[in-house]
Amino acid sequence: MDDDEAVTRSLAGDLDAYEVLVTRYSMVAHRTASFLGAGDEAEDVVQEAFVKAFRHLAGFRRDAAFKPWLLRIVANETHNLTRSRGRRADLTLRLESEPGRARGPYEPEDPEGVALATDSRTRLLDAVRTLPEREREAVTCRYLLQLSEAETAEVLGVRLGTVKSRTFRGLRRLREEVGRDLLG
Amino acid sequence: MTSSDDDRFGRFADLEADLRALGEALEVPAPPPADVARAVRTRLAEPVVRVRRAPRRLTALVAVFLVALIAVTPQGRAAVVTMLRFAGVEISVGGPGPLPTGVPRPLPDERRVTLDEARQAARFPIAMPSALGDPSDIRIADGGRVVTLLWPGLRLDEFDGTLEVVFRKDLGEPWPLQVSGVNGWWIRQPHAVSYVPRHGGAPREERVAGPTLIWQRDTGDVNVGMRLECEDYQEALRIARSVR
Repeated sequence: MDDDEAVTRSLAGDLDAYEVLVTRYSMVAHRTASFLGAGDEAEDVVQEAFVKAFRHLAGFRRDAAFKPWLLRIVANETHNLTRSRGRRADLTLRLESEPGRARGPYEPEDPEGVALATDSRTRLLDAVRTLPEREREAVTCRYLLQLSEAETAEVLGVRLGTVKSRTFRGLRRLREEVGRDLLG
Repeated sequence: MTSSDDDRFGRFADLEADLRALGEALEVPAPPPADVARAVRTRLAEPVVRVRRAPRRLTALVAVFLVALIAVTPQGRAAVVTMLRFAGVEISVGGPGPLPTGVPRPLPDERRVTLDEARQAARFPIAMPSALGDPSDIRIADGGRVVTLLWPGLRLDEFDGTLEVVFRKDLGEPWPLQVSGVNGWWIRQPHAVSYVPRHGGAPREERVAGPTLIWQRDTGDVNVGMRLECEDYQEALRIARSVR
């Protein structure tokens, strides 16, 4: 069942069809909430977003893609959460290859290589964390979540040109922060 | 992407690749998708609650105004109540509707301010319709949550709103008209308006409003709900489109 059919059936009240959509986009929804600052409340945010998405499905433009539409709701829920708690949206994330954690299947085996890769990623993550919020959101959507510029524009509710300029400024700042020695 | 964009971003190709790799290396704890689907389904299967609960943490900003359309339900037919939530407005269609007592009461902590004061105190950027001149009166209420601009015969409320349209399928009559040009809804008939205070509690300020256009402005940071009371649909659209 493709998204379009699942949406059509969901609109007719078919909860089985909606389960297909939830299952399909659960992971990216959790990643989005988490990367945009929901922290350990990402699960609540995602569940709330899926419930809202179902109830707002009639407002979904049928010629549009479901994923960015859903992720925008996730982003808004995350934003409401961080704003209501009066805290800065932060990236509370862990690298899989942090010391003491099991090595992933595709990571290099030599300990020195692992340490170097982990170190540079940690520095890059720290640099992303310190970006101004708008640039951080754009960089997060474009690269950490690997969304297109158009998808990013929809998720963040800004124009395409705004995505381009915020991403560009973010990249420029990151380059200054992490330094050329690290990135070659 | 244009070629100049390619050039501009080309300098950062290595950094872009590193960021993508970083995203893939980041661990996000998430329950199995099937569990999420089951939990969502359980919540969706819950009966619709007609009376709003006290706002929960995540939904506190959702329902700002409660608009109940006075039903034109044929006698003897069971009323089917439909709720519509949009841009911080919750619309109930088909229910009996409250009987407005008529005397408008001010919103919580409502006070008269200058435009500059309103801009400083509001929790969102205030937009002005260029189709109209300076408002004759400006009010702010409930801790900067609602700003009301008044012109003779016109009332524009701006408030914290949310993006999404809520829709339930058991339609009653009459149903508001969806306005795609401004992404909003036009309520053509007189209806009762209640205000739902920020910290929850019973809706207040029930009064009868005339025809109203409800739409949403997306400022990038906040979705601002807008409701314009205006007798004429074309005039309301013209004003809404002129909002900057």
